[in-house]
Amino acid sequence: MIEIRDMSKWYGDFQVLSRINEVIHRGQTVVVCGPSGSGKSTLLRCINGLEPFQEGEVLVDGVSVSDPSTNLYKLRQKIGMVFQRFELYPHMTALQNITLAPLKVKKKTREEAGKKAMELLARVGIPDKADSFPANLSGGQQQRVAIARALAMEPEVMMFDEPTSALDPEMIKEVLDVMINLAKGGMTMVVVSHEMGFAREVADEIIFMDEGKIIERGTGEEFFKNPKSERTKDFLSKILI
Amino acid sequence: MGLGRISKKKWIYYPVTFYVNLIRNIPLILVIFWFYFVMPIIVGRPMDPFPSAVISFIVFEATYFGEILRAGFQSVSRDLIQAGYSTGLTYWQTTRYLLVPIAFRRMLPSMITQSIVTYQDTSLAFVIGLPELVRRTAIVDGLEVRSIQLFGFVAVVFFITCYLGSIVSRRFEVQRERGF
Repeated sequence: MIEIRDMSKWYGDFQVLSRINEVIHRGQTVVVCGPSGSGKSTLLRCINGLEPFQEGEVLVDGVSVSDPSTNLYKLRQKIGMVFQRFELYPHMTALQNITLAPLKVKKKTREEAGKKAMELLARVGIPDKADSFPANLSGGQQQRVAIARALAMEPEVMMFDEPTSALDPEMIKEVLDVMINLAKGGMTMVVVSHEMGFAREVADEIIFMDEGKIIERGTGEEFFKNPKSERTKDFLSKILI
Repeated sequence: MGLGRISKKKWIYYPVTFYVNLIRNIPLILVIFWFYFVMPIIVGRPMDPFPSAVISFIVFEATYFGEILRAGFQSVSRDLIQAGYSTGLTYWQTTRYLLVPIAFRRMLPSMITQSIVTYQDTSLAFVIGLPELVRRTAIVDGLEVRSIQLFGFVAVVFFITCYLGSIVSRRFEVQRERGF
């Protein structure tokens, strides 16, 4: 589904990503962790073409992201994305947030898009918040609307960029539950997160990144029990307390 | 003006920034004087007070309104725009449905406030003999010698219009506190 080959990226002289290789198959959930500034968020943005990279290749469903002839707008319809700070459109209700892209991009009718949006709101557990503005929703509710907004385009892959790090502790679970359901429902997911409980439960693979490189990768249990590199051990000891 | 200040193109950004900084650090009254007394020397013929005052106001206020536009556009975060892109919206759709409506809602209170200031500043055109409200009052006062009533009336006119403006402005600000 997603194939990253020898991908490197620089901001000026500073190398943010260095020779990244990764294959994510359909239906897999991959969790990416690592200290801040290690290039995790940038990696996600390179996969859907929000950020350009200088070397290597990224293929999504066989389509090259960096190929100038690729229609990135079309490609992004297949890749839903959820942000750390929700990024809901403040001037629109929850329902309008969800229906904007289906209406404008997929040219659905208002009834179709609205019906689908209500289904999604029910799926993330807040069908009663359709007409609320983002400012009147809690962080956890906003993030769930953001997930519904991404799902409304019926993506084949969902990417999450630290979806719970801006949330109050008691709201983390409601968002993680939605994500766990998605993963178990067979969605292909790339999740940047330090929620190790989540990683343990649903991740097919966990990647540890530092200074723009993939330091270590492993399946759930193996990754936590026997981290190979010192850097990974050090990191895990800090976040697992 | 505002778009020039957020332009990535240096040949647009630097001249516009120079212009904005220059004008914003000169008092309006000087710009009015300068246009009225210096332009005729350059153009070679005297200018009427009215077009001269209008041009001065445009030259001066464009920089202030430009800065309000700049702040409004910059207040919309990059991630929010990227959120739009990530759902497949195009550049124009993102601009049309997200950037412009959000930025304009945020800049509306400052726009109204600046409009009120501009309106009050029109009385400065008095200095080049333009018969605006204050000037006309002074003329009538010269005939009737009822300064307190006449200038009191002018103050009331200014107060009512400006106060109405600030009420509207405040309503938008309340809206903004709800999350815009």
